[in-house]
Amino acid sequence: MNLATYARRNLFRRRGRTIMTVVAVMVCVLILCLLRTVIAAWNAGADAASTDRLSTRHKVSITMQLPQRYIDELRQVPGVKAATWANWFGAKDPKERVPFFAGFAVDVNSWFDVQDEMVVPPDQLAAWKATPSGAILGDVLARTLGVKVGDRLVITSDIYPGDWQFTVSGIYTAKRKSVDRNTFLLRWDFLNNDPRAVYSKDHLGWMVSRISDASHSADISRQIDARFDIHDDQTLTMTERQFALSFLGGFAAILSAFDLVSLVILAIMTLILANTVAMSVRERTHEYGVLRAIGFTPAYIRGFILGESVLVAVVGGLAGIAVVYLVVNQGIGPALEENMSGLFPYFRASAQVLIGALVAAVVLGVVAGAVPAIRAGRLKVTDALRRID
Amino acid sequence: MVPIQYNARSLLVRKVTTLATAGGIALVVFVFAGALMFNAGVTRALATSGSPDTAIILRKGSDAELSSAIGNDYLGLFRGPAQVSQAGGMVGEIIVVVTADHADGSGVSNVLVRGTPANGIAFRPEVHITRGRAPRPGTNEAIVGQSIAGRFAGMSIGGTINLKRNSPLTVVGEFTAGGSTYDSEVWADLDYVRNSLGRQAAVSSARVRLSSAADFEGYRQLIETDKRFAMKVMRETDYYEKQSQQTAGLFTAMGLALAIMTSIAAMIGAAITMNGAIAHRTREIGTLRALGFSRGAVLSSFLLEALLLALIGGVIGSIAVVSLSLVSVPLINFATFSEIVIRFHATPDVFIKALIFSGVMGLLGGLAPAIRASRVTPVEAMRG
Repeated sequence: MNLATYARRNLFRRRGRTIMTVVAVMVCVLILCLLRTVIAAWNAGADAASTDRLSTRHKVSITMQLPQRYIDELRQVPGVKAATWANWFGAKDPKERVPFFAGFAVDVNSWFDVQDEMVVPPDQLAAWKATPSGAILGDVLARTLGVKVGDRLVITSDIYPGDWQFTVSGIYTAKRKSVDRNTFLLRWDFLNNDPRAVYSKDHLGWMVSRISDASHSADISRQIDARFDIHDDQTLTMTERQFALSFLGGFAAILSAFDLVSLVILAIMTLILANTVAMSVRERTHEYGVLRAIGFTPAYIRGFILGESVLVAVVGGLAGIAVVYLVVNQGIGPALEENMSGLFPYFRASAQVLIGALVAAVVLGVVAGAVPAIRAGRLKVTDALRRID
Repeated sequence: MVPIQYNARSLLVRKVTTLATAGGIALVVFVFAGALMFNAGVTRALATSGSPDTAIILRKGSDAELSSAIGNDYLGLFRGPAQVSQAGGMVGEIIVVVTADHADGSGVSNVLVRGTPANGIAFRPEVHITRGRAPRPGTNEAIVGQSIAGRFAGMSIGGTINLKRNSPLTVVGEFTAGGSTYDSEVWADLDYVRNSLGRQAAVSSARVRLSSAADFEGYRQLIETDKRFAMKVMRETDYYEKQSQQTAGLFTAMGLALAIMTSIAAMIGAAITMNGAIAHRTREIGTLRALGFSRGAVLSSFLLEALLLALIGGVIGSIAVVSLSLVSVPLINFATFSEIVIRFHATPDVFIKALIFSGVMGLLGGLAPAIRASRVTPVEAMRG
């Protein structure tokens, strides 16, 4: 009879307890995977944000705008391959079907050249260029609002008063998973020509440029800011990744709080495992005495106990990641991506998360079994035999 | 009834098991109470920013001060209605969000600058200068809220904040408004800020003090139906309540969801422990039954033991979570895109809910084992 057989047989002596412990480990692994996936989803935007694209905005405030001529100057900076711009429109759905989505007024000629992770069919792009009141929507947003190409659509804004009438010229899809599929794009010239936009006339919200060499992003950023430094409106340029990170920075404390919760979940799992192992060991102290008396060494006793603890952890861990795979990756994950793509553009537990959780379960199985195993190994045969509990 | 000492001593005898199980419950309660304390902190910061007898006026269609703009000409009209308190008066203010470097070099963030008229500080009685002095009206002097003082470069006494090339604000003091979001703002002179931004003709919002909180509805209808302008009027408390939902709602919900999910594991832990306890004490239970205690008495006795076990965890978790009230975390207020500092806040409500939560875990986890215990027949138990 080897170690695994002994461990396995022992587990079925208290079937109810073993099953409950496995379920508890499974629940912990499941929650851990969900939490790590949420954290990964939030970081995904920054992880996927490109380093070969620079974002240039007003140095003083994100709400301040830049003179229109800045875009021509930006295009002259060495290393800048292409550039475009956008203004925040503050778009809202008057029927409130979508709680929040981004609305940008963008340059019809250059936007999709620079933002090449948003893909729009050529005929729809051509139609947009011919329609001043045209708009392009993300596929998820278009589905939520129930519009297709050619439909009319009314959007309101919390910056520019009144109703804004648009014709849907096209629908973009995402080339990468981290791209927001809930964005609304209108033409900047359409906004700029409207009398309601008089306060922001001929001004740009921010500029985006694609550079030829990502490794020179810091140099080129400095050159751009130096170029505008002599003007009244100075600029702040950073890579899109830095930009995304600075935004995430506002949630850094929350993210570390959730990291802490991950540790709490692991601790709960360890306590439950340790309790189960301790209970079994206490019940079997007499048996261990017998095993020692017939010649098994303390190392064997330790092995039996550790083997049992790790086996429970592994079974629970495997069950947990199986549930995560079936329920999250095949079920609620895709549903979240469809319905909450603003918050979770991509929601699947990665292999890294799943394997990480399993490894954690195994390691904590060892930790939980260690103290009872060591104590049982140290017991004197006579003491163990004397205990009849 | 089986005396409660029986249960208390039983828990004491099995120290390791009791501590491991209660420890698991304590951790779950810690997460649960932590989420509640976070929410209470956000609510305190945002809710105390508003007062129920104050109306905030924004341009129709705007949800927040940041995206609103109101022409100067209208300000006088807001003051006219009879509901307006003559003593309290009105402030029209401009809001701008500025880019600021974290003092520790960890990157840039956004800070809200409020351009306020000469009566802006007096309009809010809760505002006190804690260091330095109040700014002189009409100058480039500014005060910073004590939550952000020192967090950002330039935001401490003697520091400067640039609104425009060559027209910096100079910080002359620090202030507090009792832990509200104002504590995360910079306050400066209305006209100085407007001139720097080139927006002399408008303010972002107006706040009007009414004679009493009950006057709000009448005032709102009067202003919102006035054909001369298109404005939205909100009670100041509601305005901030909505922001606190937007800002903290998701994180609080996630924290509570995590606590509730992990409570399943903790309940299983409690069930394992109680099952083990009952398996060990079958003979005792048989004796109790033979002595004349009813099935119901045994059931309630073991439920009580599970409850006690869970409450030990609940108390440990509640005590541990108090330490969080020393922790402040920065957070983006989605309504203004600017950083506010939230301190975890312990209220009696948090602890009551935490203890109820732990009690429920104990009762649910202990229910099946207690039923099993109540089914033990005296004869078999004493024979076995």
